[in-house]
Amino acid sequence: MSSTATNDKPRNRVTAGQPNNVIAGFIKRNVEVISISASILVLATIFSILNPRFATIENLQNLLNQAGLPLIIAVGATFVILIGSIDLSVEGVMSASGMAFVLMSANSRGGTDFGFWAYVVAIGLAATLGFFSGVLFTKVKVPSFIVTLGMWYVGLGIATVLFGTDTMPFLTNDDLSTWASQQNLGMPNNFLLGLLVAILGALLLRFTSFGRVTLAVGNNEEIARGNGLKVNRNKVTIFVLAGAISGIAGIVATIQLGAVNPTIAAGNLFIALPAVVIGGTSLAGGKGSMLGTVLGVILLTTLTNGLTLADVSPNFKTAVSGAILILAIVITAWSQRDRLRISK
Amino acid sequence: MTPAKKSNGLPVIALTNIEKSFGTNKAVKGVSFSLNPGEVVGLIGENGAGKSTLLKILTGMYQPDAGSIEVNGKTVKFRNPRDSIAAGIGVVHQEQSLFTNLTVAENIAMNSGKGSSASTKFGIYRWNKIYQDAKTTLEAIGSKLDPKTVVNQLGFVDRQMVEIARAVSADAGADGSSLVILDEPTSVLEKHETEVLEKEIRKLKNFGAVIFVSHRLDEIMRNCERILVMRDGELVADLKTTEVNEKQLFKLMIGHDSRAEASTHKSIDPKETAAIEVKALTRKGKFSNVSFSVHSGRLTAIVGATGSGREELARALFGAEKIDSGSVLLAGKQIKSWRIPRAVKSGIGYVPSERKVEGIIGGFTASENLTLTHPGKSAIGPFLIPRARKKIAQDWFNALDVRPNDISQELGRFSGGNQQKVVMAKWLNSPELRVLILDHPLRGLDPGAAETVNAQIKRACKDGAAVILLADTLEEALEMGDQVLVMRDGEVTSSYDLAKQNPSTLDLLERMV
Repeated sequence: MSSTATNDKPRNRVTAGQPNNVIAGFIKRNVEVISISASILVLATIFSILNPRFATIENLQNLLNQAGLPLIIAVGATFVILIGSIDLSVEGVMSASGMAFVLMSANSRGGTDFGFWAYVVAIGLAATLGFFSGVLFTKVKVPSFIVTLGMWYVGLGIATVLFGTDTMPFLTNDDLSTWASQQNLGMPNNFLLGLLVAILGALLLRFTSFGRVTLAVGNNEEIARGNGLKVNRNKVTIFVLAGAISGIAGIVATIQLGAVNPTIAAGNLFIALPAVVIGGTSLAGGKGSMLGTVLGVILLTTLTNGLTLADVSPNFKTAVSGAILILAIVITAWSQRDRLRISK
Repeated sequence: MTPAKKSNGLPVIALTNIEKSFGTNKAVKGVSFSLNPGEVVGLIGENGAGKSTLLKILTGMYQPDAGSIEVNGKTVKFRNPRDSIAAGIGVVHQEQSLFTNLTVAENIAMNSGKGSSASTKFGIYRWNKIYQDAKTTLEAIGSKLDPKTVVNQLGFVDRQMVEIARAVSADAGADGSSLVILDEPTSVLEKHETEVLEKEIRKLKNFGAVIFVSHRLDEIMRNCERILVMRDGELVADLKTTEVNEKQLFKLMIGHDSRAEASTHKSIDPKETAAIEVKALTRKGKFSNVSFSVHSGRLTAIVGATGSGREELARALFGAEKIDSGSVLLAGKQIKSWRIPRAVKSGIGYVPSERKVEGIIGGFTASENLTLTHPGKSAIGPFLIPRARKKIAQDWFNALDVRPNDISQELGRFSGGNQQKVVMAKWLNSPELRVLILDHPLRGLDPGAAETVNAQIKRACKDGAAVILLADTLEEALEMGDQVLVMRDGEVTSSYDLAKQNPSTLDLLERMV
């Protein structure tokens, strides 16, 4: 007879079909989405009071325009973080792909316009860099943090070499260089592209073996191996996917600017990575959603946009953004504290 | 997922002269046996006897150095778990191996790579099919679980049922009968939960053969027709259950008779100050107003159901959990701002139930772990003396019969029972151990290791330590304790001095609920 044998209370057993539990259950399942949405509303209200210009259509479109690029990046980052890894190479990979894209399109330096192939080569280059990160991380077992930190500079280096010592190349095709900020459905194109990438990401996560194995690997890699899942292949695929998405982001960044230089992507990761975490994706892996990521990006973009409009001195803005970011992460991660979990 | 009935007379699995070594340590030495369809066979052996290694060979985690494996008459080579699953071998692991973030149905489908053929098309998930398949499998083993439930919502027994469903689902890919391996499926279960599970185990033989690994000999006797006994990497016996009794099995496993001694309960000398006295200790929401004292050389066992607060109390006494009010007195002296470093310095030892996470540093060698807290002669100030450390560790290894007897191996690689011996030694190495707090010290241990650990607990008592024990079972509490405290909902409901009183397990139970 065990000393705890008389504890007949079932442990958190699911009781279905009780109507008063339905609403509570819905809230409990979607607590992250609900709380981020609420935070966005609260922030928006505060900023509208501080500066009435915040709530104008013009500014909201501007806000979405700012959110487009981080959103694309955040989708790739969500996959990487879901297996408990991190990809710091994003900005370097973006530079490399952006540079390759401009130099192969009609640009101020002349050269041949490869048209469609410019996209293929730029994204392919980015995916290749992601592939190397993935293989080094999986096969050589270097932590993803270190591998991608190195790959960041490799990408930056490629961009610098391609840039050379000539003048800054800009896109000469006007249709292309104004595409990003043009509106469709009342929203800027780059944000719509971001949404499309996020929706594809969500479908990938929910309806493909790749997506489900990603969640399994993130939950417990050892168990995944023991179940005969192809863990290594999954991890490399994720880094290739994240690389390709960074490549798309690099192209969008150059189109937005209409030109390119090696530091074109600076500052994007600062929004994208925290947005993923604030969106409820656990840094330990195995838990997260694309919807959360989208909301996380909107939340942080609202913050940056609002602080600018609220006339916070640019000198302070950087530090304030950082401090608010730490606060947001602390609040999000609070519920995940565990005596037995050690963070390093 | 219909039970396989294709009995072609061939053994489901046959091992011939399987060998496996790690460095110089021969973990499995020439093991041969075969299982026929419909057989439920028990596999027993002490921690470190080679059972786990053998199972890992069967599941494709390890590759044998020599010998051959036949499944349904065909020679097979398992390069990885995938191969083993494809051959129809399913495992219910000792430590649960479900993806807690996924649904029941997905967990069942994720085995076997079946997920990539039957339930998916070009890698696209067909959720309805996955739910349907899971339902069929669950029904086949008699479970009514909803396949859409996420696993982290389930209790332990239900999780174990999912593991079993996953294990039997492996047979879908196999040609003939399949093999289900149950690796200590009951080691962390409560008694009534075990009964539910045992009923299911009996059904499993419809699917093929079953290997049932357990430390509880009574369970083995009840559920198995045949018993394989391993000792020191060898298969020392292959017997019909009707031909043996528990005592003989024990002897076969350990190599000698049980050394159980008649237990005596020490009484208190009223003039003596208690080694540790707790007054009105409260931690909001966990336990409240707890008072008791333990004298040097006495053992107080605390019993209670889940949620009784005894685990939190034990942790609080070690300074690992905050105390809201009340006081702790050590040898009559009140302790202020109670934190782990102060507790350790004051001569308190704590053996946690979460051994792997809180008890050991897996990447450190056994000798480093052993001398980590109380280095004794192996440190002078901040300077460590490796030679002295090795001597101390070697002495403990010999005294506690730790296997393998290699102090420089990483502790994470030892089996659970042997890790626990080292955790005990870590505290016993202090000459000034006053209070030893033990949180489920025997959890998951085989009878041999449990005996050694119990002997050490008794020795610590004899040497003057006051021991506080959170026992796994009421019998353990009554046998080991000089005093038994019963807790319910954070409060002490009664206290028995076993030198004077003789409560039954039923008496304790009544006060627990």
